[in-house]
Amino acid sequence: MPRYLDGPEVRFTINDGIFLDTEFYNGETYQALEPHRMFPVSGKDRYIALLDEEGHDVAIIRKMSTLPEKERQTVQSALDEYYMMPKIKRFIKMSDKFGIWMWTAETDRGVFTFEIRNHLTAVKPLYDGRVLIKDANDNRYEIPDVNQLDKRSRKMIMPCL
Amino acid sequence: MLLLVRKGRVILMKIITNRPIPEKFRVLADTVMKGQTPLFAVVGDLDLSGRYNESALIFTRDTLFAFDDKYQEKYVEVKINTLREVHVKRMYGNALFKAVTKDGKKLNLLRFTYSAADIGDAAALYVNGVIESGFNNDLVEMVHATYNKQRSFCPRCGRKLPNPEAECINCSSKKNLFSKFVRYIVPQKGKLFLCMILSIITTIMSLVPPYITRIMVDDVIPSAADGVEIAMQRLVSVLVTLICVYVVQYSVSALRGYILRYTGDQIVINLKKDIYAKAQYLPLSFYDKTSTGSVINRVNSDTGTIQNFVLRISQEAVVKFFLLIGLAVIMFSMDWKLTLFSFLPIPLVVLTGKFFGKRIAPKYRRLWRKSSAISTLLADTIPGVRVVKAFTNEKETTDKFSRYCDDWMKEDRKAAVTANIFPNIMTFLVTCGSVIIYAVGGSQIITGSGDLTLGMLVSFVSYASMFYDPVNFFANLSDSYQNTLASAEKILDILDAEPEHDFGKGNMPDKLQGRIEFKNVNFSFDRSKKVLSNINLVIEPGDIVGIVGTTGSGKSTLINLIMRYYDSYEGDILIDGINIKDIDMGYYRSQIGFVQQDPQMFRDTVFNNIAYGNANAHAEQVMYAAEVANAHTFITKLPDAYDTMLGERGVGLSGGERQRVSIARAVMKNPNILIFDEATAAVDSETEHLIQAAIERLIRGRTTLMIAHRLSTLRKANKIIVVDKGEIIEFGSPEELLAKKGKYYKLVQIQSMSDKLISQKQAENFE
Repeated sequence: MPRYLDGPEVRFTINDGIFLDTEFYNGETYQALEPHRMFPVSGKDRYIALLDEEGHDVAIIRKMSTLPEKERQTVQSALDEYYMMPKIKRFIKMSDKFGIWMWTAETDRGVFTFEIRNHLTAVKPLYDGRVLIKDANDNRYEIPDVNQLDKRSRKMIMPCL
Repeated sequence: MLLLVRKGRVILMKIITNRPIPEKFRVLADTVMKGQTPLFAVVGDLDLSGRYNESALIFTRDTLFAFDDKYQEKYVEVKINTLREVHVKRMYGNALFKAVTKDGKKLNLLRFTYSAADIGDAAALYVNGVIESGFNNDLVEMVHATYNKQRSFCPRCGRKLPNPEAECINCSSKKNLFSKFVRYIVPQKGKLFLCMILSIITTIMSLVPPYITRIMVDDVIPSAADGVEIAMQRLVSVLVTLICVYVVQYSVSALRGYILRYTGDQIVINLKKDIYAKAQYLPLSFYDKTSTGSVINRVNSDTGTIQNFVLRISQEAVVKFFLLIGLAVIMFSMDWKLTLFSFLPIPLVVLTGKFFGKRIAPKYRRLWRKSSAISTLLADTIPGVRVVKAFTNEKETTDKFSRYCDDWMKEDRKAAVTANIFPNIMTFLVTCGSVIIYAVGGSQIITGSGDLTLGMLVSFVSYASMFYDPVNFFANLSDSYQNTLASAEKILDILDAEPEHDFGKGNMPDKLQGRIEFKNVNFSFDRSKKVLSNINLVIEPGDIVGIVGTTGSGKSTLINLIMRYYDSYEGDILIDGINIKDIDMGYYRSQIGFVQQDPQMFRDTVFNNIAYGNANAHAEQVMYAAEVANAHTFITKLPDAYDTMLGERGVGLSGGERQRVSIARAVMKNPNILIFDEATAAVDSETEHLIQAAIERLIRGRTTLMIAHRLSTLRKANKIIVVDKGEIIEFGSPEELLAKKGKYYKLVQIQSMSDKLISQKQAENFE
């Protein structure tokens, strides 16, 4: 049974951006645990495992919302630093040459051009309007809601859905 | 590496890098590096805060220069000798190049997405190498090798290539590209020329009927005034001419269609044969980086695309071009003003064609996605129906299927709208052209303000409507050109690939005794990581050698080198004192019997599977081989015995049976060297016993190498090689190694312990 965290029983301190120095209520301390989402696609805010250097989980945060505000923010900042899945706001250009696609998109982290090899596996639409995209280098992108995109962008992405 | 000195300033022009060094850092780099020689650079696409931005890390012999907008002075300089270690921390969708200084301070030097992660790893290896043992050129070479492997983009235009080091289709000259395919067309040039002549005949014939219409309207029908009989006679002769024209046109067109199709087939079949033959002779290293599925695709569908294009260019384009010219000449000679009027709708027709082409392509792609989702589900759940039933998931699967079908239908309905509007609009536009001609020409005839006759008008309309088709053809030619280039690139990737080298072709020593010697052999698949290092060993003729070691230790690679699947190793491998590279490859391989862990069966009879590669095998030979391999008994029990047809990949036989067939295959070769790669790993203990007995019969007097996990398999071995992390750590007779109490001793201890446990458990269960 993993050790689940459900409330204010632990204190976190950021260590080197993505690690958490962790002190439990009972005095146990761990250096540099790495928070990992167990469901990075389907549930970003639940089941965050805290891994030690060997990759064993010391504990699992059941729900982010049960943590005290300060601890929650600390964990969130480590997660934000670790997980990079830019949210696409609009598509600027899609060009297809010789069967390889170059997409230029505006994301919440700036404008970026990436490459799509195989439509069928690279773009995964979910039924709630979310669209997940994986580029040729295994980087991931997300369209939070495809119906909220502007008309032009929607027209560009539609053939791939 | 090229440093250009211009006006006394060193400019970073062309150092090895994954991407060009960003413009904004280039000048800065020139000044801060003060002429230090850069070795290579990793260019990042994120800044340290994780936003998309340009950044770079430039490496010299002793220093790292990191450039990032987040630094106060836009860069930092780190001496390698102040560092304890560096590493690349891979996160989700991005990675950091981190360094730890000797006093324990942690530095983030560069951030990048996964696109640069492998190169980052190599750069980290370089820095750690310099920290550990000082600068040396091997380290730089290792980095360069990684860069080359990763260099899957064209250095000239930056375009991504289908695989590393392929020729860029964008930059290689098109003339050069097509000249490679010309040799498939040249042998057919007579037939293609004939087709072209025939096409021109049909084209000319198709131009005749409107002319005859004109004669009918202008000359024949009005000639009723001269007498009905004369008019009727004229009518008949005109109609006979018309029929003759049609007969010629359609019979020539049938003949042309036939010749063209079979010429096209010949071109594509020759291309297919060449690709297939080439694929057979390609080294295994090609298949390491190219999926077999994509090779199959290239043989099957990409050749078809090329065929279409070749025929389109060599036939249709030529014919349509002549048609275009012919029509224009005829129309202009009839009435130039009317001709110009009839050209009016052309831009509209072309634009509409392009417009709809663009709209309909994405619709069909969507449709294709939906239908492939359906077929994927089918391919998943119908063969997996046992699992579906076992977990009573029939309802969910059915629901999912109907949801997919509904999705498809929705898309198909949308596509149906476009697909039906498009051709009708095109026809409508063409009709508009006729209406314009009727309007202009008709009013001319009514007012008598020109020398246009009714017959001329009617035939003119026919010509004009024929004119739009070739126009549209040329307007859309560029799209199919693009598709063809993509296919051509994939095909050339195979046709131009380097085949296996057969240096010693024709050199066939009488008989190999089977003395195998490795001399200082080093090997790595891509130079970035050594798989085998410093292998030295001698195996005497008749030795039975067991190779043991953990998974990934390099056992199979050792065998791959003996089989000559990879040639790019350092050092020498000798058989009977002859370098194996100097022996005829076909002969050499024919002297080795190779039994794999998961033997490959072909879709053929059991007989042919045993006699594989030996077309003249005698029935008794094959049966003898089967007997030696302990396979004869089970084969005779099959209703069709040796004529039993095996399914794909040997469906119809159990794992142990397939293994015995593959041993029989090795017996057929009567080889001097035998290699078993985990031959009994996947079978039960009784079958193992049968196979073991077969192997023992087979190896008598032959040099034998056996890879085995279960040490019990090796009880006949008189020598043992223990491989660990690409090195031979122990080599000698089993008794010697046991006495040494090293790794082999430990392995034996562990296995006999677990064997004991198993037999104990079994004994308990029996009680």
